[in-house]
Amino acid sequence: MAVKHNTRMVVGAVATLLILAPLAVMWLSSLAPAGYSVMGMGRAELGGGSADGLHAGHDDHGWDGPPPGPGDVSVAELTGPAGGEPDVAVQLVARSEQVQLAGTRDESIPAYTLNGSTPGPVIHATQGDLVQVTLANESVPDGVTLHWHGVDVPNAEDGVAGVTQDAVPVGGSHTYRFVVEDAGTYWYHSHQVSHEQVRRGLFGVLVVAPSSGIAADHDVVAALHTYGSAATLNGAGGEHHYVAGPGESVRVRVVNTDNGVLRAWVAGAPFRVVAVDGRDVNAPTPVTDAAVVVAAGGRVDVAFTVPADGPAVLVGVGAAALVVGPVATAAPAGTPPTEVLDLLHYGSPADLGFDPARPDREFDYRIGRRPGFVDGRPGMFWTINGRMYPDVPMFVVSEGDVVRMTIENSRSDNHPMHLHGHHAVVLARNGVRATGSPLWVDSLEVDRGESYEIAFVADNPGIWMDHCHDLEHAVDGLVAHLAYTGVHTPFRIGGAASNEPE
Amino acid sequence: MRKTYRVLGLLIALAVVVQASAIAFGTFGFINEIDRGAVFTPSSEPPNFGPMLHAINGTLIIPVLSLALLVVSFFAKVRRGVRLALFTFLAVVVQINLGFFSFDTPVIGLLHGANAFVVLGLALTAARAAAREAPAPAAPVVEEAIA
Repeated sequence: MAVKHNTRMVVGAVATLLILAPLAVMWLSSLAPAGYSVMGMGRAELGGGSADGLHAGHDDHGWDGPPPGPGDVSVAELTGPAGGEPDVAVQLVARSEQVQLAGTRDESIPAYTLNGSTPGPVIHATQGDLVQVTLANESVPDGVTLHWHGVDVPNAEDGVAGVTQDAVPVGGSHTYRFVVEDAGTYWYHSHQVSHEQVRRGLFGVLVVAPSSGIAADHDVVAALHTYGSAATLNGAGGEHHYVAGPGESVRVRVVNTDNGVLRAWVAGAPFRVVAVDGRDVNAPTPVTDAAVVVAAGGRVDVAFTVPADGPAVLVGVGAAALVVGPVATAAPAGTPPTEVLDLLHYGSPADLGFDPARPDREFDYRIGRRPGFVDGRPGMFWTINGRMYPDVPMFVVSEGDVVRMTIENSRSDNHPMHLHGHHAVVLARNGVRATGSPLWVDSLEVDRGESYEIAFVADNPGIWMDHCHDLEHAVDGLVAHLAYTGVHTPFRIGGAASNEPE
Repeated sequence: MRKTYRVLGLLIALAVVVQASAIAFGTFGFINEIDRGAVFTPSSEPPNFGPMLHAINGTLIIPVLSLALLVVSFFAKVRRGVRLALFTFLAVVVQINLGFFSFDTPVIGLLHGANAFVVLGLALTAARAAAREAPAPAAPVVEEAIA
């Protein structure tokens, strides 16, 4: 009996170990130190190109990565113009406070504001302007930064806590200076604890007009944001009416500041998609009865003419809507069209300025999901190329490289993929080549089960985030980086500044 | 150990009931809000704590409980105890997968709902098996069960 009993105990103990030991190992190996550099995180992928001292032997240097050598450049040195009078100068003060949103039935809600409002002020600039924004943090406890979403700024101005700067603590300030080289619709938002700070309102819109001026009678910003359960445009709920006369031309800049994808649509007039993510569409044709998908973080500019006779034009922006037309005209009844405009086959082809058929580096960005631990936290987490955060890829490029990337999504969820500092052109979806206007994006909606081929020129040295802009997904590890050879960052995730970019 | 096994079985069963209640609470919350004109997008907060409770209970608490039941089963002298704990654990694994697949293919939700009763049945059977009198130590059937 005693033998049997002991055998049972031993078998039980062994079985328990077999189950719990791998879990314990997984848990332990998921723990990240209190502070670390993205230079030492995960694995370097070279995509068929060469490495340098900062990335060769990446895996052997622990959480700090290989030390910088002579000639290597720090992210902090890659600033915009240091001297010169700014053409546009803005002071933004970030606060944590209660706000009452116009047109919502909610009581006042806890929010983060810029200059007392959420969203912050629309910043207007003209192509070629030197923009200077001084951000002061009055009372946001976790610290703040400003990321210029879609503007291909010099790396030091990118506003990513722990990668391009330290989060600005309460009482601190930070100045961003950069030249806006491309006209278009952009937005800015905090990239410190961004999943919470953006949701609670720490963002605003940046409109860069072409030097030739805006070619529409009316230029309207429609930034969608959901506060709690209230869908708002430009921070206000309820009905939105914009007065425009019969026959007048209107450009509506749809900005998706939410975590979820939205559909924009127009009823009452044919419309054209004139720009996507701050890049003009070549030869856009009139569209009727189709919606345009706007990725989270993405922007789509639609243009139309108010009909000379007839009702006003209704612009649907996700769960919100904007009525554009003469005073006292009724909005047309409209339901969102079921048809979706395929931007890969819209407009006419144009020169890309580079040859994506001859890439210097080729990368895969395969997104999956499985149970596991991230920094000791159990859950279902995203994987990139089969591995979980922080064991994520560092895509290494050199300045001047033509880069191709295949983004492949599993069926778990849709992902708005956002590459900082660059615009990429979409070459194909699910193996079907794009035939329309070159589709330049910084925020690409990748639906369940889809794969995209994109290409870009590595022309903006730095360490850049390449992540999912469903910011809840970013917290759950859907974050990789694009790193240039010869560039390193002295900033750290965590550390003294408590940097937490996601 | 026997008692622990029994309590774990009952806790899993209770957690399954909580799952059903939570998701009904969430669903009716959505319907109620929609009927009052609310529009939900991926960025909207859910109408109540039901969906969040369902998610935490289903992906964290029930898996941990069923894993604990499996580990305890190695030491608790319960007839068919290991087998029942293993089946319960596997049913939970299947259940979580069905849940996640349902977001992409909602019809799989039909199986997710039905499989909940498999988890419930197995957990209750396990708890009942542990409630029986401990068989006499000399009984051959015990040796069989151990082997």
